[in-house]
Amino acid sequence: MSTVQNSPHATGNSFVHRLSPLTKLTFAVTVTVCAFAVVDYRWPLLLFCALLLPAAIGAKVVRRFLLMLATFWVPVAAILFVIQGFFFPEAHDVIARFGPLELKSEGVAYALLTALHILVLMGGFFLLLLTTHAATLMSALSERNVSPSLIYIVSAALQIVPTLSRRATRILHAQQARGQVIHGLRGRARALVPLVGPLILGAFTDVGERAAAMETRGFGATRRPTSLITVPDSAVQRSARVAMMLCAVAAVTVNVWGVMR
Amino acid sequence: MIEVKGFSFTYPTGSRPALHDIGFEVGPHELCAVVGGSGAGKSTLAGVVSGTIPHLTGGSAEGLVRVNGRDLADIALSGLVGEVGLVMQNPFNQISGARFSVREEIAFGLENMGVPRDEMAARVDTVLHDLGLTKVRDRSPYELSGGQQQLLAIGSVLVMRPTVMVLDEPTSQLDAAGSALVFEALGTLREQGVTTLLIEHRMERLARAADHVLVLDGGMIVAQGSPGEVLADERLEEWGVAPLRYTVAARRAAARGLWPDARPLPVTLDAAAEGFGATVAHLARGDRR
Ligand SMILES: Nc1ncnc2c1ncn2[C@@H]1O[C@H](COP(=O)(O)OP(=O)(O)OP(=O)(O)O)[C@@H](O)[C@H]1O
Ligand SMILES: [Mg+2]
Repeated sequence: MSTVQNSPHATGNSFVHRLSPLTKLTFAVTVTVCAFAVVDYRWPLLLFCALLLPAAIGAKVVRRFLLMLATFWVPVAAILFVIQGFFFPEAHDVIARFGPLELKSEGVAYALLTALHILVLMGGFFLLLLTTHAATLMSALSERNVSPSLIYIVSAALQIVPTLSRRATRILHAQQARGQVIHGLRGRARALVPLVGPLILGAFTDVGERAAAMETRGFGATRRPTSLITVPDSAVQRSARVAMMLCAVAAVTVNVWGVMR
Repeated sequence: MIEVKGFSFTYPTGSRPALHDIGFEVGPHELCAVVGGSGAGKSTLAGVVSGTIPHLTGGSAEGLVRVNGRDLADIALSGLVGEVGLVMQNPFNQISGARFSVREEIAFGLENMGVPRDEMAARVDTVLHDLGLTKVRDRSPYELSGGQQQLLAIGSVLVMRPTVMVLDEPTSQLDAAGSALVFEALGTLREQGVTTLLIEHRMERLARAADHVLVLDGGMIVAQGSPGEVLADERLEEWGVAPLRYTVAARRAAARGLWPDARPLPVTLDAAAEGFGATVAHLARGDRR
């Protein structure tokens, strides 16, 4: 397991990296809300091209940013186009035929809009992940009085893969040491079976011991834990967050009133 | 200060007591070592003294356990945080799983106690340095070797500066250099007045570091006393504890009249060298006559 997988590790030191995670979180939420507020595909596209992409370029993470979008957004968009394009209810403007299937313009338009909304949503959060060390984000949340248990659960979830893989390696080594030789692909598949037992059981029997360890290390002992990690912040960023939140509220209001429809 | 009197404990699923009628005392500035075979009840005793047993396990307990004058039956586990430190047998289970680097993991307990950031950073860095973990401070706790994880588990407890330390086989996965660092840290703690209960297999180190040794067998204390008395006891092997090789050598020598009469059997290399040296000198004098 690489460090990158352990923690969406942000090693850069750009202007974006040095922003408070809260600012980036607020930004991600605001652009998403704004993108959804207007029913015109050019609007989310504009937000993406004018805000998200330049931010990714400025943070020098644009390659990984696009790679993540290619991995997660492209499949979603493709599925949307197929499903909405061919099966959009009550659509009748046929623009192409593939055997019995008819591609309809209403469906394509809807798919385009939804896909672009999702592009902005994913873009905002990927930018946050790519430029923020998970520890800093958790620390920022902790300073905002987010419940320590919730923070613990989120952090642990980010670590669970390396934890399980480490345990799996140990069990495999132990089984090999007891003479289980593993050959080829089928052998590997078969080796997984005895792995499951100790892996799952181990995860349960260790619970008591883990709980004891956490208790003796004071988890939950104070209502206000402190944090080793400093969260960068400034008055400018605080005002920017307020402004962004106002933007988001305004976008929702406008949308609810239907002014821009 | 640890005081245990007439203490017995049975696990909820246990058919017989894991500890039976245990009694001992360890004062400040003292290091008490616990030895015994597998399943003797050592880890159970560690849990009892650190308050996790029976608070978290359930089961039936009888008798008295007092830490720093307070009866553990009367206080919640959270009341002991920072006062009693427990280093568990399996360091992997002690890692919080919620911190992304070694440095943050060590700080976890201090964060929970609400220690201010500046003080916390200084304390963490001192511990990293003392345990030789500075070079891996930014790595994920899961990317460490077993021995490094063990040092991390010890560091994460040391940093809380408990007045009572309980360590369950803290050096089982460490190399000589690693265990030397741990024993050095324990020595410093002792000078500072910390009360230490140490479960340990490395007899040689114990003999030098411990003030007091307890032998557990089948959940009972079968012997206790100074390292010199207990570790030279000929029943040690019956109790499931491997005696030191030079103690065995000296006992065999004594059976053949090759060990100075009044001299106790050695439990440190120095004592063994002195004893055999004296024998050799004695024999040499005899030859010359
Ligand atoms: N959680 C548990 N539930 C029930 N019985 C337990 C539990 N943990 C330990 N025991 C039993 O209590 C006894 C003492 O176990 P303990 O773990 O204290 O031994 P130990 O001296 O630490 O052994 P080792 O050297 O192998 O670590 C054993 O008989 C064991 O089977
Ligand atoms: Mg044990």
